[in-house]
Amino acid sequence: MTAGERSPSRRHARSPLLAAVGVGFALSACHAPTTLSGEPAGASTAATQPQPGATGASADLAPNDPPGDWRSQARDYANTRYSPLSQINPANVAHLKMAWTFSDGAQFGHEGAPLVVGGVMYVVTPYPNIAYALDLTKPGAPIKWSFSPNPAPIAIGKACCDAVLRGWAIADGKLIYNLLDDHTVAVNLETGKEVWRTKMDNPETGTTMTMSAAVFGDKVYVGDSGGELGARGWLAALDVKTGKEIWRAYGAGPDDQVKIGGDFKPYYSWMKGKDLGATSWPPDMWKHGGATSWGWVSYDPELNLIYYGTSNPSPRVPVQRPGLNLWSAAMFARDATTGMARWAFQFTPHDQWDYDGVNENVLISIPWHGQTRKALVQFNRNGFAYTIDRETGEVLVAAPFGNENWASGIDMATGQPVVNPAQEPKPGETLKNICPTDLGVKDWQPSAFSPRTGLIYTPVINVCMDLTDHKQSYIAGTPYDGMEMKRHAGPGGNWGAFIAWDPVKGRTVWSIPEQFMVFSGALATASDLVFYGTVDGWLRAVDARTGKVLWSQKLGSGIISPPMTYTGPDGRQYVAVYAGVGGAPMVEDKQAGFPAHGNTLYVFSLDGVSNSSGAGMITTVAAGADNTRMAGHEAPVSGSAHGY
Amino acid sequence: MDIDHSTGASVARQSKRRCRGAKDPGLWALFPTPRGMTLLVLLALAGCDRTLGNLRAPAAAGGFIDGGQSPAAIDNPFEGQPAAVEKGKQLFTQMNCAGCHGYDLRGGTMAPDLTDRYWRYGGTPAQIYSSIANGRPMGMPTWRDRLPAAEIWNLVSYIQSQGGATPAADYQAGEQGDLAARPVAPPAGSGPGANPAAARSAHP
Repeated sequence: MTAGERSPSRRHARSPLLAAVGVGFALSACHAPTTLSGEPAGASTAATQPQPGATGASADLAPNDPPGDWRSQARDYANTRYSPLSQINPANVAHLKMAWTFSDGAQFGHEGAPLVVGGVMYVVTPYPNIAYALDLTKPGAPIKWSFSPNPAPIAIGKACCDAVLRGWAIADGKLIYNLLDDHTVAVNLETGKEVWRTKMDNPETGTTMTMSAAVFGDKVYVGDSGGELGARGWLAALDVKTGKEIWRAYGAGPDDQVKIGGDFKPYYSWMKGKDLGATSWPPDMWKHGGATSWGWVSYDPELNLIYYGTSNPSPRVPVQRPGLNLWSAAMFARDATTGMARWAFQFTPHDQWDYDGVNENVLISIPWHGQTRKALVQFNRNGFAYTIDRETGEVLVAAPFGNENWASGIDMATGQPVVNPAQEPKPGETLKNICPTDLGVKDWQPSAFSPRTGLIYTPVINVCMDLTDHKQSYIAGTPYDGMEMKRHAGPGGNWGAFIAWDPVKGRTVWSIPEQFMVFSGALATASDLVFYGTVDGWLRAVDARTGKVLWSQKLGSGIISPPMTYTGPDGRQYVAVYAGVGGAPMVEDKQAGFPAHGNTLYVFSLDGVSNSSGAGMITTVAAGADNTRMAGHEAPVSGSAHGY
Repeated sequence: MDIDHSTGASVARQSKRRCRGAKDPGLWALFPTPRGMTLLVLLALAGCDRTLGNLRAPAAAGGFIDGGQSPAAIDNPFEGQPAAVEKGKQLFTQMNCAGCHGYDLRGGTMAPDLTDRYWRYGGTPAQIYSSIANGRPMGMPTWRDRLPAAEIWNLVSYIQSQGGATPAADYQAGEQGDLAARPVAPPAGSGPGANPAAARSAHP
């Protein structure tokens, strides 16, 4: 059975193209050993080689999951979000059509990507965090099981930026994810029954959990949210089998709480010293200092280091907390086993504009002055894209990737920004046109790396603010915030863009301006396609080299989640993305044309062909002479059009 | 507070207890200035009639039937007082209400808009008081143990000044959806929402 034989093109006279694709696929399937998902096993290695004109950047794609699966949010430890699949390519991508959809009924913003393994797709809704397993082997991808954890509703009113969930993880036979109300839960993949549930914090204090749990080896890494409510930030490791907490590293406070010890070697001298996480604050303010960890975690299996960042400091009124406010708006490299910090780097010392440091750290290797350096790239909220040596924390490149005016540049001797004094807020005074706004030039929405081009593809926010600070008192469970903002589009008038970035040279290669913000993640594939979506609901496929938009499709709501791609049990490549606006972009929901909420997962294939769409599919039963149904077997036969 | 289906006589007894309580030295501390003492006397006089008991803790929204008068229909004792609105505006920022409901009170993902005609838990003064005092399930904190009644009424006054609240006398119409189409009045005097075009301030 081949894709070409099973999928007559109903609408297009271009079926010879599809047949050619199908025959080509069939031939490759005949000539090479295939994985369970039908892709030739050798394809992934060849497809990921740098192509002519590439930047020279490369990546370790461990754990090298089967090409047709998508087993973790970022697809690999390095967080490349790169798929080795190439059935959908620049020549045929304009034929993508909706194959089937799934609505999950949850009203809040949808920020996570589906996972696919073993012919089953797994999704979890925003609050109330219901998990669904969809059986991809059956027509209609019916729900195999669902799991309702019933998180406490009080958490809804403590989540600064909507009651979202940014992803979920699969490991050791379990689906593992965070609940908004500060529990981490593990569900049996086969049965949908709860295996363990661990209480991590208390939502009454203003702490919630919205990040995707990340699993590396036998540990589950989770962190909290709440930098706008004076929460105490932390990242913890749980045992994947039992959920038992193994260690917890706080984002601020004395060294023993931040898990800084003798192995800690920050590259820059201004981060060396005892208990800086306490002494860089007025007395005891680190206890409600934010520095939460609500973003992404990446992992280097050779160095055994995890990389993740911390949020803004609390309160969001900087005059109340003089000092560097370590270790907020920073990132850590930690020993994945013990949690002890190896190095740290603070992107925005004494942050005054809500420039969190939690964005994804994409692990790549780059050519650098005749050597190969293990590095990472973070597109920081503050508007600078950093390429950092991930063994030492040395900043190799720091260049603006969008509009910013709060700093004139980065001092490469120290890694510190050169702050524009005019952009430093004082309570009661309105500062006009600070760029970027609190959302940053990029927020948590993740970028994707292509080893073929050596470029990183990223959403960009082009929004500035008029800011007035109001001094704050700490009242547990209420905002410890103080930023009054009016936001507007930045130079050019477009609220967003999607760009390709050269992480070696530190420059934008091409840019697609968008009227609305771009808050989706990015997806890169081995056929040199890149996918992204907009807040007003456009899903687009782009040529990874030239930036030419090859296909656009309007969906039912805004897209604030990462697209992903997988191979179905039928051997066909699919692209899937949630469309359900919410999250941080809601700050501009009065903008003309802003979409309504949604909760639909869209799955696309070439010409929309799938086992869940097409001619026929069930059998009509003739009625009896008196218009009653015939006795006997009347069960419809399903899937007949596709021969399962 | 329990639902009380008895007659007005029961309520009067309750109020007399509260009237004696109004001379409690503790309450003087709330109103230390001459103006405050005047206010307290006025309140006590008003309360002895029927509603001072409700100054302390109005019944849960919409729950109380007393000869046809619901506590949701009870007026804000500081109705129409600019000083209460001004004090409420200060409290709105000091108690961090603005952090969730916005400096323009237009709300966001954390908390609802307080300037429109949609009230999840009721929009009369007594119902707004109850939401503040008792908290609500989706994260609205409980303030009754942290703020004296007078300060909660100040906050209610400020919110009412934004124009979207349901007048107490229109309680039934509000319950039945008959106020939804009524345009929201421009905010009175001291609210920051005087500029309807102000953008929202919810904070990611």
